[in-house]
Amino acid sequence: MTAVIPRRISPAAFGKALDAFRAIVGPPGVLDSDEDRQTYIDPYALGDGLDHDCSAIVAPASTEEVRAIMRVANEFKVPLWPVSRGKNLGYGAASPAEYGNVILDLSRMNRIIEVDVKQAHCLIEPGVSYFDLYRHLTEKKIPLWMSTPGNSWGSVVGNALDRGIGYTPYGDHCEQICGMEVVLPDGDLVRTGMGAMAGSAGWQNYKYGYGPGWDQMFFQSNFGVVTKAGLWLQPEPEMTAKIELAFPKFDDAEWAIDLLADLRRRDVIQHNIVFGSPVRAASVLSQRAEWYDGPGAIPDSACEEMIRKLGIGWWNAKISLFGHASTVKAQVEIIRKLFEPRIGKELNFELWEQGDPPDKSARGIPTTMGLQSVNWYGGRGGHLSFAPVMPSDGKLILDYARKIKAYYEQVGQDYYASFTIGRRHVNNVSLILYDRDDPAMVTRVDQLYRHLVTEAASQGFGEYRGHISYMDVVADTFDFNDHALRRLNDKVKACLDPNNIIAPGRNGIGTRSA
Amino acid sequence: MSASGGVKRRPSRLLAAGLLLATMAGCSEGAQQAPVKAQGPAMMPQSQVVMFGAGSADEGERLYGQECAYCHAGRNTGTIMLGRRMDPAQAELHKRTDLEPDYVKAVVRNGLVNMPPLSRVEVTDEDLDKIAAWLARNGPK
Repeated sequence: MTAVIPRRISPAAFGKALDAFRAIVGPPGVLDSDEDRQTYIDPYALGDGLDHDCSAIVAPASTEEVRAIMRVANEFKVPLWPVSRGKNLGYGAASPAEYGNVILDLSRMNRIIEVDVKQAHCLIEPGVSYFDLYRHLTEKKIPLWMSTPGNSWGSVVGNALDRGIGYTPYGDHCEQICGMEVVLPDGDLVRTGMGAMAGSAGWQNYKYGYGPGWDQMFFQSNFGVVTKAGLWLQPEPEMTAKIELAFPKFDDAEWAIDLLADLRRRDVIQHNIVFGSPVRAASVLSQRAEWYDGPGAIPDSACEEMIRKLGIGWWNAKISLFGHASTVKAQVEIIRKLFEPRIGKELNFELWEQGDPPDKSARGIPTTMGLQSVNWYGGRGGHLSFAPVMPSDGKLILDYARKIKAYYEQVGQDYYASFTIGRRHVNNVSLILYDRDDPAMVTRVDQLYRHLVTEAASQGFGEYRGHISYMDVVADTFDFNDHALRRLNDKVKACLDPNNIIAPGRNGIGTRSA
Repeated sequence: MSASGGVKRRPSRLLAAGLLLATMAGCSEGAQQAPVKAQGPAMMPQSQVVMFGAGSADEGERLYGQECAYCHAGRNTGTIMLGRRMDPAQAELHKRTDLEPDYVKAVVRNGLVNMPPLSRVEVTDEDLDKIAAWLARNGPK
């Protein structure tokens, strides 16, 4: 018997539920030993992570098994925390928001069911990783490209459902989802969009179906378990061009963001643009002690040294262009004309044409390199992302960055900016890096994050995504009309999931008090 | 596909950083590509890392390519972190000559510093046995 059991359930009832789960998925599909449960502790937890420990793991291999698990969970009132692959690093990984949930691990559901080469879409299960999909496309020589996030270890579907992003024209991952299959909390099975028609021929071709579109209801929520999703892929273009733009001064952010955001709105640049500071670059390449090993926040002088030695700017933006050769070349000229006079040097784009090695191209190739940054302070590291959504206005973003940087310096954490410039918004992302085994730092990081979220909300800026330890903190900031959105979410939750068995507390929905 | 150029001498941290910058084109997150000259032999490009072991007759090598190589082959997270405390020429796991199966299995199930543990759902005991045996093929007998 496991040492942890879900709240409000007797050990005997929980034992019966586990037996019922074993009958559905087979004994190897249910894990409840201490040794197995510790492999699901968030590797970036602030501290030991045991405050988000699970009671067991159940790993189905099919939609039918998910449906059967849902029925058992209702019978015994066992809360389930569904994860696609459990690699949502920086947001809690596989760990549940509420202590003692059973993790519903969908990793075994990893089939690439179909790839339509001509129509450029695929239908996949939630256990498919970015590496799986990339290998499949490459092995079958399918000329379709995918967008990849900073950490590609995770699930393609899971990342899209949490509204993760990548850096190609298909980088708004939630927007590439076309049609989903969802197991509802009562075990019922629905397909969204055109998939609501039995024998639908256009499930992955048209997103909206007939009547209301429910798809968004299953993003960042706990109203169902997505067991299949359609995903649009990018037809391989004729040419790509890419370059790193380096802006030497902190204050350059104002004009650079205005210019880049305008190009983004006009679709000259068709992807989310990352706009990063020196620590962002240095943390992937090196450790803090190589630049500065004193107390408090890293000083500007150390950042200036990074700029000199790494040949980067105070701000750095990778720009990629995709399309027919004539279009790409014309866009290269537009960007050169706009930026060269301001930067004061010639911009040499790296061009890729069909047949060249993939690494020369601007396509997404899965990588876990971004995870390197957690080794910044040494020891077992982690990161937490503060990412308020703001209008894409250069002055607003720069002024806010200055204020956030000063606050990092006041509390003694290194400022790491990694803004994302979208179509109409900028995510003023600052990553908080930490050593999870340094209790003083963990306390500082917790206070820093809470302060930042609250302070941003007072200016009208809300987070786009939340970590399991702060889901209520973020949800509290969405407070129009005395938290009308939370009331709506909780009403829907109570209607669809009266036993609150799917991910209680996910994004502040169905939170239960201890 | 399993071989790539070994690093002959240990470059300074910053030279290693420059080399990394120059090889990171195509990575969507992480470092910025900067005009620092690459030095030393080139590492396996990421597009090959991702395909490591594909089509290998040895199931252990194929599984290593699928489950481990994305961090431990080429200049990736595992390689860099291990390269900080051991000979960089052996920092890619498949080049190690000191691995024993039980050690590999213990690290996979328990994690090591910044390496997260892998669950028995993600990599079954049976597959881990094959990976561990393949990684230990050049280890102490």
